[in-house]
Amino acid sequence: MPYSNTVIDPNPMLVAENLTKSFTSGQLSTRVLDDLSVEIGAGALTLISGPSGCGKSTLLSILSGLQAPDHGRVLALSESLQAMDAKRVEAFRLHHTGFVFQGFNLFPALTAREQVQLPLQYMRLSAQEITRRADEALAEMGMAHRQHLRPAALSGGEKQRVAIARALAKAPALLFADEPTSALDAANGQIVIDLLHRIARNHGTTVLCVSHDPRLISHADRVLTMEDGRILDDSDRGAR
Amino acid sequence: MMVSLARKTLLHEWRRFLPAMLAVSFATLLQLLQAALVLGIFGGAAVYVSDSNADLWVGYPGTQSVDQGRPIDGDIASLLEMNPQIESVEPFYLLDGDWRGGHGTGGVSVFVSGVSTRPGAMMFARVLTPALRARLAYPESVIVDPADLNKLGVQVGDTASVNGHLVRVVGTARGLRALGGADIVTSLQTARMLDPAPSDSGGPTYLVARLRHPAAASSVVADINGHSGFGRYQAWTAPAFARLSVLFWLFNTGAGAGVLFLAVIVFVVGAIITSQALMAAVAASVNEYATLNALGVGKRSLRWVVLEQAFWVGACGVVLASVLAALLIWLAHSNNVPVAMQPSVAAACLGLVMALVAVSGLMAMRSMQRADPATLLR
Repeated sequence: MPYSNTVIDPNPMLVAENLTKSFTSGQLSTRVLDDLSVEIGAGALTLISGPSGCGKSTLLSILSGLQAPDHGRVLALSESLQAMDAKRVEAFRLHHTGFVFQGFNLFPALTAREQVQLPLQYMRLSAQEITRRADEALAEMGMAHRQHLRPAALSGGEKQRVAIARALAKAPALLFADEPTSALDAANGQIVIDLLHRIARNHGTTVLCVSHDPRLISHADRVLTMEDGRILDDSDRGAR
Repeated sequence: MMVSLARKTLLHEWRRFLPAMLAVSFATLLQLLQAALVLGIFGGAAVYVSDSNADLWVGYPGTQSVDQGRPIDGDIASLLEMNPQIESVEPFYLLDGDWRGGHGTGGVSVFVSGVSTRPGAMMFARVLTPALRARLAYPESVIVDPADLNKLGVQVGDTASVNGHLVRVVGTARGLRALGGADIVTSLQTARMLDPAPSDSGGPTYLVARLRHPAAASSVVADINGHSGFGRYQAWTAPAFARLSVLFWLFNTGAGAGVLFLAVIVFVVGAIITSQALMAAVAASVNEYATLNALGVGKRSLRWVVLEQAFWVGACGVVLASVLAALLIWLAHSNNVPVAMQPSVAAACLGLVMALVAVSGLMAMRSMQRADPATLLR
């Protein structure tokens, strides 16, 4: 069993308490999250899977502070996101969270290295620190030799590795990934999920990944299966 | 080395920003050329002041423009000469004339300037060479602008008649072009002879004076205007009188309103095109901006990227247009088209365009609102 020696931090990095979220379109109101509670620990890759429309992306967006729930609260690194105003949530995200999306969302004008450096510039780091972190993150993602290329010259897998390096260079405690492999072929999807898992283990990062890709399940430390806004099944594979 | 997203994007996607840059260039060019033409054409109203090196002008009280002058009492010269600040005083006659040249040009209305022929005289000192001025000492001699020769139907050496009196064209001087007619320059004596209705006083239209310390012009003007008992007169500093004349013509002909109208149109059209291009650039990268926001880069910082792009678009457009405008104004000038430019007016035009750019940037900044990271999660 791979990664069976992973120890999940007993202090959860991310706690969701009684989250409820509904979307209204016209007169129809759909409940996307239904009184959902979950705790997620550090140093592990937690996968949320389930059919499309089950509410997994909404859960990720609320846990990462991109959206607010209708009811309930989120404790991220022991801080309540609901107690913060929009500016403080932004500052929290700047210092503690990384994101990887399905579309790689790289600026066409920037080289791989510049893509990684750009968010670091807003963290008030010294120029040397920015360069050091960017180079390390790119090297860790195996992209050091491609760092002077723009997105147009990179393959899909390479672009996603640059996007992960961009998130990783911030040294976040929380790393969120939304369908990170669904735009990639099998081999590249494999590489990307391995890299995410390695980040969780080597950096002690809380990696929360949303995917409907069944190939990822075998790589996750813990799998939360969702349906109709609730968690149906919680299998803690790493603890076994 | 800091990564400038605004500049990198601008360079990499220059095609996207080109329409905005051309719009800014075009707006700048239009404003500059319009200003140059207006200054050139309406500067003609003040040609008597701007072509002379007098510091002080004294004329009929309430005169709104140089060409509207009426005779004043020649004795006022004594008042001026008594002022210790004044170095020299000189009369200037300005009267209307009906010109009859040869070659079937019919009548042409002209402005006759009677000036001193003494060496070092102030009137038209900037356009008349000492030799040319000396030629005016011969009775019935006149000098015209070379660009007016066709209109007047004469060549240098020809004779013509003004108000029924014979005159001879003894030379030409560039820079005498008047607004709505032709200027002809002659001596004081010849001008008095050409006057169809010499007023009873027979006084000059203006007295111009040179000061020992030109910087003191305003206080001397106040001093002179404070006297009474020497008849009716009013004094102005030369720059004030020139400005008065230009503004009189600018607003009495409706040209001023036209200039403002065109400036507003250019401003609005330029701002719309520029902001549209900037918005399109934001829209094209909206997911990337949303990702930066998800990573914690504030909306305020992202809006600055748009404003910085607007600034660079504006700066490139303004530089391009300034070079073109300088070239076109030079070309117009060398073809006798009346154009003129002043640093303050050029700065005002460029300032207006940069304001246009700033407004476009502010308008485009609002489209950053759509960069919502929650939309990246489906």
